[in-house]
Amino acid sequence: MTVATGPAANIRSQPSPREQSRRRGIQRFRWSILGPLIALLAFVLLPVLFLQFYFSIHQWTVYLGSWWDADYVGLDLFQEVLTDPRFGWAVVRSLVFATGSTIGCFLVGFALAYLMYKPFRGQAFYYIIFILPMLTVPVVVAYTAEMMLYQSGPINDLISRISGIEFKPQWLTDPHIALPTVMLLEIWNWAPFSFIIMVAGLSAIPREPIEAAEILGASKWRIFWEVQVPLLRPVIFLALVLRFLEAMAEFPKTWALLQGGPGTATETIPVYIFITTWQYFQISKGAAMSYIVLLMMIVIVLLAIQLLRREKRSLDLMYREAGPGQ
Amino acid sequence: MTKFNISRRTFIEGGVGLTVANFLPGTTPLAFAASLEERTVAAAKAAGAADVSGMIWSPYLVPMQPVIAEFKKLTGIGIGGVQDISIFDAPQRAMAEAISRSPQFDFIHIDSNMIPSLASAGYLEPLDEYMKKADFKIEAVADYANFMTYKGNTYGIPTDGNVHIQYVRKDLLEDPDNKKRYADKHGKELKFPETWEDDFRIQQTLMDPSKDLYGSGSLRNRANGPTWWYMTFYSAGGFTFDDDMNPTLNTPAGQYAVDIYLQEKKVAHPESAGWGTPQMIPRIAQGHVVSCQYWDGTAKLNENSAKSQTTGKWLYGLVPGSDFSGRRIHRSISSPLAALLINKYSPRKAQAAYLAMWLGSGKNSIPIVSDPVNTFNDAWAKEHMTAPQVINAYSAPAIKAIEANFQVVSPPTYLTGYLEFQDTLGKNLSEAYVGQLPAKDVLKKTDEEWNAIVNRIGRKKLKEELASYKAVMPKRDKPA
Repeated sequence: MTVATGPAANIRSQPSPREQSRRRGIQRFRWSILGPLIALLAFVLLPVLFLQFYFSIHQWTVYLGSWWDADYVGLDLFQEVLTDPRFGWAVVRSLVFATGSTIGCFLVGFALAYLMYKPFRGQAFYYIIFILPMLTVPVVVAYTAEMMLYQSGPINDLISRISGIEFKPQWLTDPHIALPTVMLLEIWNWAPFSFIIMVAGLSAIPREPIEAAEILGASKWRIFWEVQVPLLRPVIFLALVLRFLEAMAEFPKTWALLQGGPGTATETIPVYIFITTWQYFQISKGAAMSYIVLLMMIVIVLLAIQLLRREKRSLDLMYREAGPGQ
Repeated sequence: MTKFNISRRTFIEGGVGLTVANFLPGTTPLAFAASLEERTVAAAKAAGAADVSGMIWSPYLVPMQPVIAEFKKLTGIGIGGVQDISIFDAPQRAMAEAISRSPQFDFIHIDSNMIPSLASAGYLEPLDEYMKKADFKIEAVADYANFMTYKGNTYGIPTDGNVHIQYVRKDLLEDPDNKKRYADKHGKELKFPETWEDDFRIQQTLMDPSKDLYGSGSLRNRANGPTWWYMTFYSAGGFTFDDDMNPTLNTPAGQYAVDIYLQEKKVAHPESAGWGTPQMIPRIAQGHVVSCQYWDGTAKLNENSAKSQTTGKWLYGLVPGSDFSGRRIHRSISSPLAALLINKYSPRKAQAAYLAMWLGSGKNSIPIVSDPVNTFNDAWAKEHMTAPQVINAYSAPAIKAIEANFQVVSPPTYLTGYLEFQDTLGKNLSEAYVGQLPAKDVLKKTDEEWNAIVNRIGRKKLKEELASYKAVMPKRDKPA
C-alpha cells in the first residue's frame, strides 16, 4: 500500500483554524448535552440500579432486620422468580395486553391521522378533541370507566338501545373479558399518542412520489399501500415500539379498576411486582423481578433498534434509488 | 339527689391533701383530674404543646376535627398537617415509612391488623406508659380492646369498630306470601337466620333478579372476600394455624367455609366477583339485597332517610353461626379496624399518643361515631351503646346487634405478614369464585403458599406471636 507523504498530505492532516474552532464548538456542544445526562446516570440511575441489584441478591425480610443485615443469597431469588408460575402468567398477560393495546392504539391513531393530516377548516379543533384522552389522568379514566361499565351501566344500556338486542357483558367481573376491557381503555387513553406520531409522519412524506403515482394513474388505495405505507415504515415502527414499551408498564388503570382481579385475570407484571413488593413486602423478590423485567425490556428495545435501523437503511436506499437523475 | 354534709375540718383537710398531691412529681395535674378525659388532658399538658402530623383518610378525620379543636384549646396539642390516604392504601405507605424509619408522621390511622407487621418492623411506639400516666383504659365493648395489643403491649387506640352485623330485610321477612312460600319450600318458619344454611335458604327463596333484588349483599371480591370466609371458617371451629405454625386451612372446617363462600354465586349479583363497598353499599341502601353480613356503619346509612330508600326496613342481629363443629358457634369479624398508631421515630410521639387517647375516650368519640354524614367511624365503646346520639344514628336494634356481635368478634390473621396472608387467600378464593381454580384446590394451594410465607418471615417468630393472635379471638361461642 502506498502512503501519501509530503506537503500535500500534511496540509490534509492539519485542519484550518476555522475548522479546529468548529470542531471544538461541536465538542463543547456534545459535552454540554452529554454531561448532565452522564451526571444523571451516575448520581441518580446507577445508585438506584445498584441498590436494586443489592436487594435482588440479598434476602431482606423487612420484619426481621435492617436492609444492610440482609442475608446474601446469590441468584436464588432470580431462580425463584423464574420458576414462579404466577410471574410467568403475569408476563404472558402483560405481553398479550401490550400487543393488543399497541395494535389497537396504532390502528385507531393511524386512521385518525390519515383523516387529519391534510389541512382543512376546523382541523385544530379536531386535533384538540382527538388528543384529549391522552391528557386525561389514567386513574380518572379507570374510575370513570368503572361507573360506565357496570352490567346495567350506561355503556351496555346505550349499546342495547341502539342495537335493539340486550347487551349485557360483565366488562369488569368476567375473567375472560376483564383484561380486554383494560386493553380497550388503554386504546382510548393512548391512541392519541400514535395519532400524533402518525400525523407528523404523514405530513413529512415528500409530495413527489405521491404526485408521480397520481400521474401514473394509481388508485388512492395503491398510493396509500404502495407509496405512503412503505415511506412511513420507520415512523410506524417507532410508534409501535414506544407504545409497546409504555403498555408493558401500564399500572394505574389496571390497579385502580381491578387490583389484579377478578381472580388473577388482570395480574400483569407491574401489578404482580407491586403486590409482591408492597403488599407482601418481599422487597428482595420484587427487586429480582424488576431486574428480570428490565433485562426483558432491554432485549425488546435492542430488537426494536435493530428493526428501526433496518427500516431506516431500506428507506435511505429507496430515496437514493428514487433520487434526482434516476 | 344525694346530699353530702362536709364539715369545715374535712374540707380543709381535703384541700391541704390535694394541694400537697398537686406538688408531687408526676401527679401534679392528676390530683384534681377526675374523669378519663381530664386525666388525659393533664398528662398531655405535661408533654407540652405541639402540632402533630399524621396519615389519615379524610372521611375519618372530618368528624374528629371538632374534638381535636377542643383538645388544642385545652392542651395546645393539635393537628398540623395530614396526608389524606385511603385506609386501603395506608398499609403500604406505613410500611414504607417503617422501612425508612421516617419521623415524618407522628401518628398513622390504619387497619389495626397491621399492628404485628408494623411493630415487627420497629415502627410502633407502645402506648402503655402514656396510658399509665393518664390512668387511661380503652373502654371497649367485650374484649375488643385486645385488638389493640400485641405481645403484651398496647399499640393502638380504636376509632372505628367496623364489626360485621347481620342485615335482613324486615319487610320481606314479614311478608305473608314470602312466609308461605318459604314454609312450603323448606318446611320451616321464615325468621331471622341463625345459621349460614338458614341465611342461604332465605336469600335463595326471597330473591327476585327480575326486580333487581338479589339474595346476598356480602362481598366476594378479591380484596374483601376473605373477611367473609373467616367468619364461616371460625364459626365452623376452624383456626388458621396449629401450634407449630403449620397452616390448617385445608381441613373439613376450611372446606365447609369454601363451600359456603362459593354457593353465594347462586344468590349474589352476577358482578359480585368484582364489587367492593362502593358498589354494594348503595345497593343495600337502595333495597336490592335480601340479606348480608356487613360493616355496622351501613346501618347508619340505612337509617338515614335522606340517603336511603330502606329506612326502617331492616332487621339487625347476630351474624349466622354454624353447627359444623358439633356445637353452635357464631363468629363476627372486624376488618379493617381503623385505629390510631404512634410512630416510634416521631419527636412528638407523646403528644400524638395523648391526642389519640383523647379521641379514643368513650365520651369524646360519641360525636365521632354518630356523625350522620361522615359515617366511617363506627361505634365500639361501652359508652356508645347507651348514648342517645349514637342510638339515634344507628337505631336501637342496630346498636343491640353491634353489641352482640362484638362479643364474638374475631380478627383475620393477626400476625406479621397479615397483608400477604390475606391477599394469598383472597386471590385463591377469587380464582375459585370466577372459575379459574377448582374449589377443592383453594385451601391446598393456600396452605402451601402460607407455609412459604411462614418460612420466610420465620416460624419461630410467628410462633411467638401466636399467643397474641389467640388472645384476640373471642372466648365465647355466642353472645352472653
